[in-house]
Amino acid sequence: MSAGETDRREFEVTEETLHAFVDGQLDAARRAAVEVWLAQHPDKSVEVAQWQRQNAALATMFGPVAAEPVPARLDPHRIAAKLAVVRWDWTRLAAAAVLLVFLSAGGGWVMRGVLWTEEAANDRLIDGAVAAHALYVKESRHAVEVTADDRAHLVTWLSNRLGRAIDTPNLGPQGFTLVGGRLLPPLAETGTGPAAQLMYQNATANRVTVYITAAGVDHGKPYELAKQKGLEAYYWANDQITCTVVGDLPEAEMKLVASGVYQQLTWRPDPGGRS
Amino acid sequence: MTQFLDEIEAAVPALRRYARALTRDVDRADDLVQDCLERAIRKRGLWRPTGPLQAWLFRLLLNIHRNDARSKRRRGGDHIPLDGMGFEPSTPAPQPGHIALAELGRALEQLAPEQREALLLVVVEGTSYADAASILGIPAGTLMSRLGRARAALRTLTGNAEEPRLRTVK
Repeated sequence: MSAGETDRREFEVTEETLHAFVDGQLDAARRAAVEVWLAQHPDKSVEVAQWQRQNAALATMFGPVAAEPVPARLDPHRIAAKLAVVRWDWTRLAAAAVLLVFLSAGGGWVMRGVLWTEEAANDRLIDGAVAAHALYVKESRHAVEVTADDRAHLVTWLSNRLGRAIDTPNLGPQGFTLVGGRLLPPLAETGTGPAAQLMYQNATANRVTVYITAAGVDHGKPYELAKQKGLEAYYWANDQITCTVVGDLPEAEMKLVASGVYQQLTWRPDPGGRS
Repeated sequence: MTQFLDEIEAAVPALRRYARALTRDVDRADDLVQDCLERAIRKRGLWRPTGPLQAWLFRLLLNIHRNDARSKRRRGGDHIPLDGMGFEPSTPAPQPGHIALAELGRALEQLAPEQREALLLVVVEGTSYADAASILGIPAGTLMSRLGRARAALRTLTGNAEEPRLRTVK
């Protein structure tokens, strides 16, 4: 023991030092010093050797896990893509839920749309919106029936034909101006009536369209993100309308545009107070 | 965002390893990692790019694991050691001294959860003491005492303590 005490004065080896030794957390000089110390302290040396065997066994047990192929469901890119739809709507649905408390008192709204799970109608509506987008964005002279110059008429006309008071969202903050709009025939088996297509354009002549119908009895999922033919489509429905925003902008920009539309259009209560 | 996801991806193998060591169950471990990744991606606004991402991910993973364990205890559900489940060495085990792996696995199950978390973080993940203390949210001294107690308990449980073998009363 007296030899140990002399050594300890030169280099104090504590319990913590021994753990650090075993866990490879000492620099070379201190490691060497601990080895010398251990040679003079056989009791501790036995304990330390056992800790080392525990470490080796744990490394044997679990080390190989990190080399295993990672299953696809743990790919962060994939998770992010899946969450993009949900997350994006989560924040808004939370806000919407608060809003609905007000609206259901005043405007007779119900939460039905948010809980709906039937898929057919929203898939058809997204298909219709994408097809209409593809057809008309290429047009230069006949892109719209009624141009933005006649916006007041456009709004009244489309509102009347849809049976819903809709307005043209202002997408100025997102860099888009209204080109105009048109009326499109009802899609089979959606129960939604005719559709309004609003077209917007940015400074680089990139166009997005907003496809709006009155809500049917089954308007399908409350929200969905779909990608088709290189286009992205954001769809929502509430008790009053369904709305699909279509474009081929980069994802981040597309989201800004879609959320602009969503905030201005989808949660606007029907001034008629229909329920 | 892509860079953030790439960095998360780089941490996935280590997260899987730690989760496997904590749960000793392949599916439960991967579920845990998936929860952790989803939460990380949802919360990415809270992550300051200056902080170490990996440590933040480990903290998230541990929180989820602890909550799972808590709700399982409340339900009175399975905390019976999952013998044999989940642990299949993917390579033929080299001789790890005198400690049989199966025995060590069972011993791990019997450690207090906070000792197991600390020991595995340091030993399996090779985390520095400072980082481990910060991930676990405890002072350095507490980390060292948990390590010490974990190692002593494992010695006893695996029958490698040189003092007369203690019967475990659990």
